[in-house]
Amino acid sequence: MAGVWIFAENHTQGLELLNTGRILADKTGSRLLSFLWHDHQVAEDYLACGADEVLLLPPLEESQPLEAYIPVIVDELREGDADIFLLAATLRGKDLAARIASRLDTGLCSDCISLKLDEDNTRLEMERLVFGGAGIQKVFCSSRPQMATIPPGTFEAAVPANSRREGKIRELPSSPATAVKILEKKAKERKSANIKEARRVVCVGRGIEKEEDLAMVREFAQVLGAEIACTRPVSEEMRWLPEDLCIGLSGIEIKPDLYIGLGISGQVQHVIGIRDSKIICAVNSDENAPIFDVADYGIVGDLYDVLPRLHEELGKLL
Amino acid sequence: MPEILCCFKWLIDESYIRASSSGELDLETVDYKLSNYDRNAIEESVRLQEEYGGTVSAITVGLPDSTKGVKDALSRGPEKAYFINDDSFENLEPSQTAAILADIISSQINYDLIICGEGSSDLYAQQVGPRLAEKLGIPCISYIQKVQIEGDRIVAEKKVEDGIEVISAPMPVLLTVLPDINTPRIPGLKDTLGASKKPVINISKDDLTVSYEAKIHTNAIIAASMERNCQKFGSETEDIANLARALAKEGVIK
Ligand SMILES: Cc1cc2nc3c(=O)[nH]c(=O)nc-3n(C[C@H](O)[C@H](O)[C@H](O)COP(=O)(O)OP(=O)(O)OC[C@H]3O[C@@H](n4cnc5c(N)ncnc54)[C@H](O)[C@@H]3O)c2cc1C
Repeated sequence: MAGVWIFAENHTQGLELLNTGRILADKTGSRLLSFLWHDHQVAEDYLACGADEVLLLPPLEESQPLEAYIPVIVDELREGDADIFLLAATLRGKDLAARIASRLDTGLCSDCISLKLDEDNTRLEMERLVFGGAGIQKVFCSSRPQMATIPPGTFEAAVPANSRREGKIRELPSSPATAVKILEKKAKERKSANIKEARRVVCVGRGIEKEEDLAMVREFAQVLGAEIACTRPVSEEMRWLPEDLCIGLSGIEIKPDLYIGLGISGQVQHVIGIRDSKIICAVNSDENAPIFDVADYGIVGDLYDVLPRLHEELGKLL
Repeated sequence: MPEILCCFKWLIDESYIRASSSGELDLETVDYKLSNYDRNAIEESVRLQEEYGGTVSAITVGLPDSTKGVKDALSRGPEKAYFINDDSFENLEPSQTAAILADIISSQINYDLIICGEGSSDLYAQQVGPRLAEKLGIPCISYIQKVQIEGDRIVAEKKVEDGIEVISAPMPVLLTVLPDINTPRIPGLKDTLGASKKPVINISKDDLTVSYEAKIHTNAIIAASMERNCQKFGSETEDIANLARALAKEGVIK
């Protein structure tokens, strides 16, 4: 009984994987099975959105990490002779995927951004970014299950079918205790929701000298009706802005109408996060900065000198 | 006192990569570097040693001409390096690297703690750490921002989408570190000279006892293209006014 299995950390990611998973299951003439742990209430939704079977993982204790599910998932995939297993590429999802792949002695395509079946509908042809986003690596997996982690937002979410879909809901056994314990969970306020939807984004890089100078950028952004974002050094090294405002390979991808980068060199790891922007505009004092090669409009100049005047000129047109 | 092993990869510096006219990546005229986040892995190993004592060794799998990388790693503090090398170790996929490392580590090396970068700056598959832990049968705490040793346990702060999980696990443990865990020191001339005197244990393919076929196969690597207008302005007020008008014309400021 080969089939397509999926695992996601939340509902939206689940629906995205159901969408892709359904297409693959139809093409391979097999079933689509979804693990579910975060909210058993949505099992019926999953069936309506394309799953043939929902596999409920029993809730974990507070101190149990997500990896506690690994043995149960591995057993299930083995018994079901899974052909394809897709996971949402969250931090925990990626860790889980690599470890499950190791136990099943199979290959894993990390951060897969595109996948389709080959002509015989047997082999997944997958794509992922390499060299910080400079290259697209086209791969396939020669062992089974073929595994991939898929960044949230890569595919559209599935919508419920019009007609009632038949499906099964099955409870999986609980997980053995792990040697690894969660001592504490520190929640963090999420800020990236707005940034992903934002039509205009002003992004700051290391060209900003001090934290106080963000005030001036904020004012500019406000006039423009833009959200503020940053490069990885600004969030992770300087810690001037929260991590979830970091754009790029290890942060988020955005698709605004207008992106204005201030004091950003334009290293490929950052640039892949903005390549779907409609217009890219950059201010940098170094005329050879790589950002100018990927920008529609660039101003070569000191941002401290340019920004007030750009503020003024744009103000006239708003 | 902990025996610490850090893993590193010597790889192509992506900032030197250009697309050839055929749309393939030109990997001929490139330079090499120590994978960015492996520097954080080495730094954290050395930092832990400074705090808790013990030893730090480094290990890599690569082509025989990666000796420069071994020296680079040693100049950052580890006392010795294990260099598993063979001409065939080009373009290994993560399951192979993990299998090779696990084979040598389990048969030849004592450790309490293994530290890897969260991902390599070329493939960034983020698999070798967790796969290696699985192969060795030890706990893995990935994507960590902070770590300390408490008796025979590791306590680490792991980044997850909705915040941080503080995790405790009994040693031996494998950690994968995020870049914000520390700022890697920059080796000085003395460190570089000292690195040449440190022992390097060469390990060849013949010492391996496991098979490690590739499971992921690469058909091609093509250049990710980004076609843009690329219009550059100066910073005179007239230039800035022109830019503002151009943006207005694109219809993106309202
Ligand atoms: C595996 C991996 C993943 C990564 N993921 C990400 C990611 O997701 N996001 C990300 O952003 N980075 C990421 N990075 C880091 C990335 O490679 C770059 O280091 C980073 O994007 C550079 O940030 P920056 O442009 O702010 O800083 P810099 O590269 O230091 O550039 C600063 C720029 O500001 C200009 N400047 C300085 N002063 C002024 C001034 N007064 N006026 C105008 N211009 C000025 C300089 O000319 C320079 O070009 C990753 C790296 C690796 C290896």
